[in-house]
Amino acid sequence: MSTPAIAIHHLTKVYPIPFRREKVTAVHDLSLTVEPGQVYGLLGPNGSGKSTTMKIVLGLVPATSGSTEIFGRDSTLVESREEVGFLPENPYFYKYLTGEETLLFYGRLCGIPKNVLRDRARELLKLVGLENAADRRLGGYSKGMLQRIGLAQALIQEPRLLVLDEPTAGVDPAGSREIRDLILNFKSRGITILLCSHLLGQVQEICDRVGILHRGRLVREGKLEELISIENQTQLILENASPQLLKKIEADLAAEGARLVEASKPQTTLERFFLEVTK
Amino acid sequence: MSTTTAALHPPHKAFSLGRISAIARNTLLELVRLKVFYFLLIFALVLIGSSAFMIQFSFQEQFQVLKDVSLGAMTIFTWLLSVLATAMLLPKDIEDRTLYTILAKPVPRFEYLIGKLLGVLILLLISTLIMAALFSVVLYARQEIVIAEAMRGAGEADPEQISAMIRDIKATTFTWSLLPGIIAIYLKAALFAALTLLISTFATSWIFTIVTSVAVYFIGHIQSVAREYWLADQGGSVLTKMFLAIVALLFPDLQLFNLVDDIVAGNAIATLLFLKTVGLGMIYIAVYLFLAYFVFLKKEL
Repeated sequence: MSTPAIAIHHLTKVYPIPFRREKVTAVHDLSLTVEPGQVYGLLGPNGSGKSTTMKIVLGLVPATSGSTEIFGRDSTLVESREEVGFLPENPYFYKYLTGEETLLFYGRLCGIPKNVLRDRARELLKLVGLENAADRRLGGYSKGMLQRIGLAQALIQEPRLLVLDEPTAGVDPAGSREIRDLILNFKSRGITILLCSHLLGQVQEICDRVGILHRGRLVREGKLEELISIENQTQLILENASPQLLKKIEADLAAEGARLVEASKPQTTLERFFLEVTK
Repeated sequence: MSTTTAALHPPHKAFSLGRISAIARNTLLELVRLKVFYFLLIFALVLIGSSAFMIQFSFQEQFQVLKDVSLGAMTIFTWLLSVLATAMLLPKDIEDRTLYTILAKPVPRFEYLIGKLLGVLILLLISTLIMAALFSVVLYARQEIVIAEAMRGAGEADPEQISAMIRDIKATTFTWSLLPGIIAIYLKAALFAALTLLISTFATSWIFTIVTSVAVYFIGHIQSVAREYWLADQGGSVLTKMFLAIVALLFPDLQLFNLVDDIVAGNAIATLLFLKTVGLGMIYIAVYLFLAYFVFLKKEL
């Protein structure tokens, strides 16, 4: 069995409230695994503990109890971040840097040698469609361009895992589609992706597996198509059905001028399912 | 992908000067592009302005006033620059979430802090050098004016007398004690950069950071008086003693960095005193940086 990209074991995070005895439990006994190559959607309403979980996985916030690992390495260790690229929600980056300077800066932080860094930066600028804006300062970038340069910086050291927090927040539909296509491109390259998003339609399009957090607890988790199937209905695709049966059905259909190709169980939308479990 | 995978994954180093210099360069670039060097124009105006109003003084007085005003202005400007430039660095990175993207790379938190501080220290160094250069130019110009006036006044005097007079003027203008004085000014500003960085690791806003840093500046200047009072006044209440003890222990004794008065008075700075000042400044910077790291390490981002 391969080492999971992310392994979270009994993770709990409690925040004390200043000047009060009360405490807030942001994440409660969370355990989940993201396998390599998967696109995992971490969903939940605001305040459900998604961002806290992400920050703990990235070593930005310490856990109260439990542990998290990235490709088998304790994620509190700085070196575990060699394998991770992160795009936070609504990042600003340094407005005074150009697109290329931004990538060079993050590349230097990863210790990438000078002789390959410039080529790598240009390669990524091309990948995210910003080669023509490489010399423009980020202060003049649109929201969609900022998200794309954010994705490029996350990928600078060619990580095996990408953590994306609301990558399409505030981006117009066309820009949103471009980002979705980029994520699918990364997926095809075998990059594991942990995605936090409120855009459930997009999650449904991209993710292989989802986990739904509600009030710090993982209320549902599993393969997307299993989660959104309707339990008491069955989907049938008839292909090699007995001639008698087909005759009977076809006879009925022919009377209406139609042909039976598929008899399928209707699915609910991810959105409806999400609202139901977080009610 | 055309670039080789191996080159993109160099072995991780627990401490990397490359990462620190990347953060320091970026911090310096940020401050330069924020156009903080414009304050040097104000400094130049102060120098030229003060130089223009001293015709009525004797040449010794002229140089004294010029040095007093210039070194005083350098102290205030470098201090202000260090506090204002440092106070916003950390809160801005947190607010814009750029800190997340930096620390999500294999960058230890102490390297981030050292890089940020180093960026400010380089900025302060450049500013101090520019101010020192401007000061030298104005001082030299004033020296030449004074020499020209003295020559005119001397008329047909003995050439030996004239050359002795010129030697006197030159000896009063540029003295070696100016150098330790300027280094002490830089150290004081550097100390405040480290202190402001420390405050910004736990402050809730950059206004709080600036206000606290300014308060420390004033307390730091009166703390030696407070300590003397504490030591002399053994009859004071326990509370007063405790308060003054805390002040004396927690706040830097900034009077120790004040070599300007001696320089203006024309006194030479003893080497031992200068070395002590430098050592003390570096200890303060190291302690503040260590405390900042300690707080920042525990900080929930």
